[in-house]
Amino acid sequence: MMTRRRVGMGAVLLAVGAAASGGTTVLTAAGESRLVEAARTAADAIAGGEEIGGSVSLLGVLGGEELDDFLGVLAPFEEATGIAVEYEGSRDIGAILQTRVEGGNPPDAVSTPNLGQMADLAEDGAVTDLREVIDADVLAAGFEPSILEVASTESQLYGLFTTVNLGGLIWYDPSVYDGPTEPESWDALVEWSRTTAAAGVTPWCIGLESGAASGWPAADFIDDILLRQAGPEFHERWWRGEVPWTSPEVVRAYETYGEIALDETLVYGGVTTQLATNFANGADPMFADPPACYLHQQATFMGGIILSNFPDLEPGSRLDFFAAPTFNPDFAGTQSISGEIVSVLNPTEQAVALAQYLATPEAGRLVAETGRWLSPNLQVDSESYTDPFLGRAADVLQDATSSHYLGNALMPTALVEAFWGSTLDYLERPGDLDDILADLDEVSAEAYAD
Amino acid sequence: MTPRIASAALAVVAVVVGVTLYLRAGDWAVSAARRRCSVVAALVWIGPAVLLVGVVLVAPAIGTIRTSFLDGDGEAYVALDNYRTILDDDTLRVSLRNSVQWVLLLPVASVGFGLATAVLADRVRYESVVKAVLFFPLAISAVAAGVIWRFMLDYRPPGAPQTGTLNAVVAGLLRRAPIAWLIDRTFNNLALIGTTVWTQAGFAMVILSAALRAIPDDVLEAARLDGASEWRLFREIKLPYLTPTILAVMTTMVVVALKAFDIVYVMTNGAFETDVLATSMYKQLFSYRHLGRASAIATLLMFAVTPLMLLNLRAYRREARARA
Repeated sequence: MMTRRRVGMGAVLLAVGAAASGGTTVLTAAGESRLVEAARTAADAIAGGEEIGGSVSLLGVLGGEELDDFLGVLAPFEEATGIAVEYEGSRDIGAILQTRVEGGNPPDAVSTPNLGQMADLAEDGAVTDLREVIDADVLAAGFEPSILEVASTESQLYGLFTTVNLGGLIWYDPSVYDGPTEPESWDALVEWSRTTAAAGVTPWCIGLESGAASGWPAADFIDDILLRQAGPEFHERWWRGEVPWTSPEVVRAYETYGEIALDETLVYGGVTTQLATNFANGADPMFADPPACYLHQQATFMGGIILSNFPDLEPGSRLDFFAAPTFNPDFAGTQSISGEIVSVLNPTEQAVALAQYLATPEAGRLVAETGRWLSPNLQVDSESYTDPFLGRAADVLQDATSSHYLGNALMPTALVEAFWGSTLDYLERPGDLDDILADLDEVSAEAYAD
Repeated sequence: MTPRIASAALAVVAVVVGVTLYLRAGDWAVSAARRRCSVVAALVWIGPAVLLVGVVLVAPAIGTIRTSFLDGDGEAYVALDNYRTILDDDTLRVSLRNSVQWVLLLPVASVGFGLATAVLADRVRYESVVKAVLFFPLAISAVAAGVIWRFMLDYRPPGAPQTGTLNAVVAGLLRRAPIAWLIDRTFNNLALIGTTVWTQAGFAMVILSAALRAIPDDVLEAARLDGASEWRLFREIKLPYLTPTILAVMTTMVVVALKAFDIVYVMTNGAFETDVLATSMYKQLFSYRHLGRASAIATLLMFAVTPLMLLNLRAYRREARARA
């Protein structure tokens, strides 16, 4: 059942916002509808000008306003083709997808951040090769070879990236934060945190609760730290299961994370509050009056979540981010990314049309326009990012010497879930880190066993 | 959609027609064979039930016991390895411990609350209101109950406004530090069991209340005339009358405790040592894809329930005999 996974290379070169940098154009209402209209035309072309009708079931992880925005990207497709997209969202997608595939009732399509699981399913022959259903020209024009490679097995393209997040960002409120926005090093930021804590305010806010996936925000950051502390090469060997979790590099990444997270004076409410707070509310105390903290670490999509929670916040003057400083000067300029792919499990006419639509630059521009995610599509230029954060994130990515996919999206499901859970254990029992990592080695051995 | 409705309708018709035909044919066969032997009658009437139970219950159970001796892929024979892992592995041992805790606490608490309400509400005029309030949660799905209680048990750091009802009481009225109910290991399992009690006490109450009504009035009246106190009345007349019902409700609650899944899944998903056997089985099957271990846990659960079922069956038979 558990096949050895052959995921493509982890390094991904992204050329997001290649055309221009910095300048973000705010589109007018007419401009918006032009984007929607273009997307509708693109969907029309896919359907051959006919009403296809019917429906496509799509299993994913999104909920709330994030889901609304994602469905907004699909709306022109539904209007043009008459196909109803039935989205079912759950954070427990790993187990649900497994159940449904094994029960012979897979969803038509999946939108997931967990590439590892899709690679497994692809090896089992449960996933449609997207190269067979999407024109080679469309793929070549829209996607870097490396981003296709990362979602491929040896024989097929199992997933197409729809949204991309830049990881390792630190969000803050410029109206109250007086610390460094371009800290030289991680140590400098920790130093500032300690000084601030001594003055009586906890500098950081963290929220790790996320239902069945609790712990993932910490895992993402540890993943990011490992990438930029031990370097991309080690990072890749790590998520491929080639080096033990008990390696000093991994221990160090956990401990670097713990330096902040475990210190009751540095994090609002200490460990208990981190564990009890939902990730989507993680940054909320930052905007209390007076602020209960100044910094929150999370990928690009957090900007959208914060603005959903506080619709009155002025982006730029009340909310901004800077890229987490280097952990190791040898790997300065290395950035982590994550994102979601769409995969087709039932190649129905409707599911195939959906995948084809999501591959178009028109759909990519709508993704960019949500202000939540970067589009992986090469034909989406930075003018499409109406959101000031994404425009800057695109710049950060462009300046990066290399960007790499987070390891916890590429590992086998069982290991990913154990990794997420391990961060909770570590926060509760930091003294047992060696045991916790030894347990992960066991899970890893089983998950990677042929 | 339309073809589905059509085929569903067809299935309903087919089942009704099939059953009618079978009954008619069986009736004919039995009356034709009546003089010769009663075995035919037994076969005709029991046969379908046995067949159905065999196909949907016995065969899968045997299959599960078989796979519990196989490895993760359900291929190689590994003897008792899976059972050994359940006892050795830390997380699985924790879920075993928690399930035992559930089995001990849930029946006692549910029956306790149910009995107290049934007996006390019996004596007040607004009885139906009290009963309705306790009964409502039974109508709520376990998932909704879990979500509701997540809000009730919400935790905010000391000093911040407490949004959870319980912590609002703890911090606001009692002036104590708020408690992270679902994280703190002293409370988290109790919080989950408490939520389940909230959903189940109503059931216990309804059953016990009915049994209470069935106690003959003349017995109670005679005791009262003899000058028995209400407490003595409860202890020496009502309780003995209720014992079989209490046992039956307790057994039901033990089964509820053993198959506890949804509340745990929604509220903690087993984090912070709150896994029970059913959630562990789910994880072994769908996250770890370890068929052997999942089957071993299922087998364990099945055998844990069996003695209770036998006990219940015996009590039921005794009662039936007493009535006859």
